[in-house]
Amino acid sequence: MGMKRTFTTGLAIGLVVATAVAAAAITYERYDTKTLKRTVKRDAVLCGVNTGLPGFSSPDAQGNWTGFDVDFCRAVAAAIFNDPKKVTFVPLDASDRFKELQSRKVDILSRNSTWSMSRETNYDLYFPAVSYYDGQGFMVPKSRKIDSALELDGSKVCVQDSTTTALNLADYFRSNNIKYTEVKLPKLDDVLKAYNSGQCDTFTADASQLYALRMTMSKPDDHVVLPDVISKEPLAPVVRQRDDDWMMIVKWTLYAMINAEELGITSKNIDEALKSKKPDVMRLVGTEGAYGEDLSLSKDWAARIIRHVGNYGEVYDRNIGEGSKLKIPRGLNQIWSAGGIQYAPPIR
Amino acid sequence: MINIRRLLGLQVIVAAGLMLSITQGFAQQPRADVGDEPGLMADDSVQLEPEFQKQMVLYRTTEAPGTIIISTADRHLYVVQGNGRALRYGIGVGRDGFQWQGLLKISRKAEWPDWTPPPEMIARQPYLPRFMAGGPGNPLGARALYLGATVYRIHGTNRPDTIGTAVSSGCFRLVNADVADLYERIPVGTKVIVRQKPEI
Repeated sequence: MGMKRTFTTGLAIGLVVATAVAAAAITYERYDTKTLKRTVKRDAVLCGVNTGLPGFSSPDAQGNWTGFDVDFCRAVAAAIFNDPKKVTFVPLDASDRFKELQSRKVDILSRNSTWSMSRETNYDLYFPAVSYYDGQGFMVPKSRKIDSALELDGSKVCVQDSTTTALNLADYFRSNNIKYTEVKLPKLDDVLKAYNSGQCDTFTADASQLYALRMTMSKPDDHVVLPDVISKEPLAPVVRQRDDDWMMIVKWTLYAMINAEELGITSKNIDEALKSKKPDVMRLVGTEGAYGEDLSLSKDWAARIIRHVGNYGEVYDRNIGEGSKLKIPRGLNQIWSAGGIQYAPPIR
Repeated sequence: MINIRRLLGLQVIVAAGLMLSITQGFAQQPRADVGDEPGLMADDSVQLEPEFQKQMVLYRTTEAPGTIIISTADRHLYVVQGNGRALRYGIGVGRDGFQWQGLLKISRKAEWPDWTPPPEMIARQPYLPRFMAGGPGNPLGARALYLGATVYRIHGTNRPDTIGTAVSSGCFRLVNADVADLYERIPVGTKVIVRQKPEI
């Protein structure tokens, strides 16, 4: 009798413990909170990138990755390790990119992904801050001498069928009372061919795509992308929800780069900036306060980013801006005080 | 003809160079005067980089249409158009130590302006002429827009290759075609905002 009671009690305790362990395991499985710890132990950031998108991420023959999205992961590595090379790039397809992030195959997704509500809620993900404001635009022959989408009345418009691009086009032209004829084609390449052969007066797609496609045309300089952007496609890095420490590192890495540009700090003058007596500059480069330590990083976390990778404008220019083949104007991605909407909260 | 004129210009540069070498203080910054060569003809074959060609760009601002905004750091001059647009021109700006910022108004406009280097400029660059009549070899180029009561102007150039650089004594230069275009758009009284790269 005594034996049996002990056995029953033991069984009950055992069950409780087993349930607790299982519950803890499930909780651990759903909510990863140790990304930074694992990254440090591994000695590399795992970065999910596009398999190949000119200007944003592309590998060369030796497997060296370059691009705007690539440099963002290098900036995170610079902040953590003081070494922008400590990144392992994992090329991902559009279809499984979010699942791969969920399953911890990567720590950050830096892969031209549009931030939208359902992507955060459905996948338990978080987009910390906008790295690039993309949106639907229009390409026209330069010879037409127009500089606004509102001047496209009566145009034949080439557009990819069954996309949000086609829907946005209809909405925008209807609300602005612009008459147009659609030339719908199933593939983006066919849309470009139709435009090139003169079947339409203008060609609409996301602006970054238009610039990339323009590069492939026989006379790129004969075509312009109008400054109008008619839809919101905010591209942002992505992390898992509920790992706030990691999310903060990713978010403030981007904001440090934007603040650096606004304050005029570049990879070339960073040593001068470290001697600055200007409070804004001192807080960013870490000569005043310990803002980096509050992120579990070093005081000079932002100085490391700027030294090894550069400020936001430097990264933009060399990969997709005037210093690159794409030559995408800064537009919305200019700093807020210089005509754009890139705006980072202050470091203080 | 052009070759002869260029040769003449070259002689002026050589002469200026000789003076530089014997003028102490300037020996340390031998290229400080580039872009102020009187007599040098503009070489119109120079094609501006796409970044510095005149173009309509997205530019959000609370300033009224017609306002000129100069961004020294980016070497751009914007004419605000409203509706989130600005017409952007490539410019050359003041060299280090000759950059400034503030708010001024266009006080006067002139075609093929004469050039009277101000006394402070003569003091720094004594080889400069005291006066030079307007014309193709004049460093002020085809048009000038005078900024308030200052010695600074927005003007054309005889050195199109200096657009996008920082070489002037504080003036803003455009290629002659662009400054002529600007001249037609901008009336006397236009507000001019000059923004400089922040100091670190």
